[in-house]
Amino acid sequence: MADDRLERLAGVLVEYSTGVKEGDLVCIDTDPAAAPLVQAIWRRVLAAGAHPHLRVDLDGSAELLLREGSDAQIDWITPLRRAEVERADVRIAIEAEVNTRGNTSVDPERLARAERAREPLRRIHFRRASAGELRAVITVFPTNGTAQEANMSLGEYEDFVFRAGLLDHADPVADWQELGTGFTELGSWLGQRETIRVVSDGTDLTLGVGGRTWIPCDGKENFPDGEIFTGPVESQVEGVVRFTYPATYSGRRLSGIELEFREGQVVRASADEGEELLLRMLELDEGARHVGEFAFGLNEAITEFTGHTLFDEKIGGTMHLALGASYPESGGTVQSALHWDLVCDLRSGSEVYADGEVVYRDGRFVEGLF
Amino acid sequence: MTDPRVERLGSLIVDYSLALKEGQVVRIDTLEVGAPLALACYRAALRVGAHPYTNVGLPGLGEELLHNGTEEQVTYISPIQWEEIEQIDALVTIWSEVNTRSLSRVDPDRHAQHIAANRKLSNRRWERISKGEMGWCGTLFPTNGHAQEAEMSLAEYEDFVFAACHVHEEDAASHWRSVSTTLGARASELGNVRELRIVGPDTDLRLGTDGRSWLAADGRYNMPDGEVFTSPIETETEGEIRYTFPAVYHGREVEDIRLRFEAGRVVHAEASRGNDYLQSLLDMDAGARVLGEVAFGLNYEIDRFTRNILFDEKIGGTMHLALGSGFQQTGGRNTSGLHWDMICDLREDGEVYADGELIWKNGRFLAEPALEVVESAVGG
Repeated sequence: MADDRLERLAGVLVEYSTGVKEGDLVCIDTDPAAAPLVQAIWRRVLAAGAHPHLRVDLDGSAELLLREGSDAQIDWITPLRRAEVERADVRIAIEAEVNTRGNTSVDPERLARAERAREPLRRIHFRRASAGELRAVITVFPTNGTAQEANMSLGEYEDFVFRAGLLDHADPVADWQELGTGFTELGSWLGQRETIRVVSDGTDLTLGVGGRTWIPCDGKENFPDGEIFTGPVESQVEGVVRFTYPATYSGRRLSGIELEFREGQVVRASADEGEELLLRMLELDEGARHVGEFAFGLNEAITEFTGHTLFDEKIGGTMHLALGASYPESGGTVQSALHWDLVCDLRSGSEVYADGEVVYRDGRFVEGLF
Repeated sequence: MTDPRVERLGSLIVDYSLALKEGQVVRIDTLEVGAPLALACYRAALRVGAHPYTNVGLPGLGEELLHNGTEEQVTYISPIQWEEIEQIDALVTIWSEVNTRSLSRVDPDRHAQHIAANRKLSNRRWERISKGEMGWCGTLFPTNGHAQEAEMSLAEYEDFVFAACHVHEEDAASHWRSVSTTLGARASELGNVRELRIVGPDTDLRLGTDGRSWLAADGRYNMPDGEVFTSPIETETEGEIRYTFPAVYHGREVEDIRLRFEAGRVVHAEASRGNDYLQSLLDMDAGARVLGEVAFGLNYEIDRFTRNILFDEKIGGTMHLALGSGFQQTGGRNTSGLHWDMICDLREDGEVYADGELIWKNGRFLAEPALEVVESAVGG
């Protein structure tokens, strides 16, 4: 595909998101279908004087492992993966799934097992990223698989993806920086609050956020981006939440998820579709019943649900919370092999209160807040 | 759906070539186009309880590095690659190109630099392979690119490749076990020969092999396979040879090569096409004019020249002699940056004498090797 927007995307990822510089070891972790974007990134990494390192698994190998592998085989982590996460200065991960539902019939127990097995790698990744030793970004390359998941043609989906990254703007980097400035101001203001209460149809949830840090997301770690998140106080989540959007977990769809929290823990969980998987995931480990992340989606260029978390959690006018691991930089301390984002639309009939005061109504922060 | 021959080839490589065991780590290198065979290897490796992972190259990246990278970038080997090479127990290399000529326009010097840089890594790999710490098997998955190079349709080429690997039949492993026994016996007999004389059109060449051991290439390092080889004594090659097939080095062809040897060294060389390239390679270093290998191609499923050395050097009824580096395991001492296999077709009109006795005529040994001799030799 000789799509000019691919070049722009590569430029933003290499020069803005990860700031690749001379001598960096840059691990490009992707699927075969992303080859056109990888070529564009590869050229720019070379031009920056850095060393690109390619890591591509064959489509279908992970599925074979999940279906035919023994427990010992699922638990095993390749030495290559470990070396990469320990050694890379930069990691650019590009998802390019050709079939988003390939794992639908895989035993959830085995999916959970694979998730647990990768936990040590994730921990090294997060530790190095928060210590500033690793600059890592994740993005999505449009395929027919992800387009189909979104009920779009590939052309429509490409437009959607590139618009979400502001790549149709004259100067995407300048616009991401400007958004980042606004998110940072919002974050400082929210950082002074003790509690957040979200009220919407089927939802009345209060979260303690006192002393926690709100992190503005401006395209450095996710691309596209556009959210602000924190790690709520682990023992201070109370009430019920009903997620308006379906959630996916490794190719399986769940819908109508409802959770009830008491003292920070899920005490009741149900779903219209996929309840068994939901319950199984909550049992994954100690941390899986806790909220590791609470966030507002702030990307106004993403307006519709497309079945991919990277985009859905950033829909302008939504909130999401994640069951499982928190990001240490937010002050959250939940540890888990799970980090599962669930998204709730707040664009109509919704209000958010900060320390008792209405600060957000029908998908937008009220004017003149700070 | 999946070609059963591909599944068989995957199993053959894992079970026979690598004899992979539970708990061993195997990396499968391929391009995306080789996916069916890579996944067949992956599945077979899971079956024996090993830990497989795939390593997929993407098109265009190597060219970009060679064209536009700095010298520092072209010669860089990352700490990830160093760590990895110490930790894997086996490696499968699936050669599978969509375009066999994609590097044709790259500056040969830069290509050489990249190969030289990677040589540190590949030397370490060979060290582990030759110590038996690590298994390796190189194989090919048929594509239109390779078929085109061989002047065949894809379907014809698939038949050719899979027959050469003997996976067109159910129990390929038992075929290769029997090949291994026969080739082992042949190698053992050749080990007693002091002088080989090759006679054919424009060819009469004597090679000293006294004290050198012959090795059987029986499908462990290559699939397909099928040759016996040694390194001849460096100072004893005398006479003339004419190569009927084009000789290919780094993608460039040299046609109708004639060489004259005296006291082990090439003293005269000419080619009808690519003569300058031939002369420059002969002048590469001191070892480039000396033979590092002599071998009999014994895979009779491979019956034609396809411009791919994996197959060509094993054509049943041919011999190949390589200029340049020899094999230490056979007693060879020649060292060189060159190892250039040149193939001589002896199927129409060729004879080989061992210490004066005719042992090979028109592409076949005259007698089967004595198997019991070998079994005791192997047992001892």
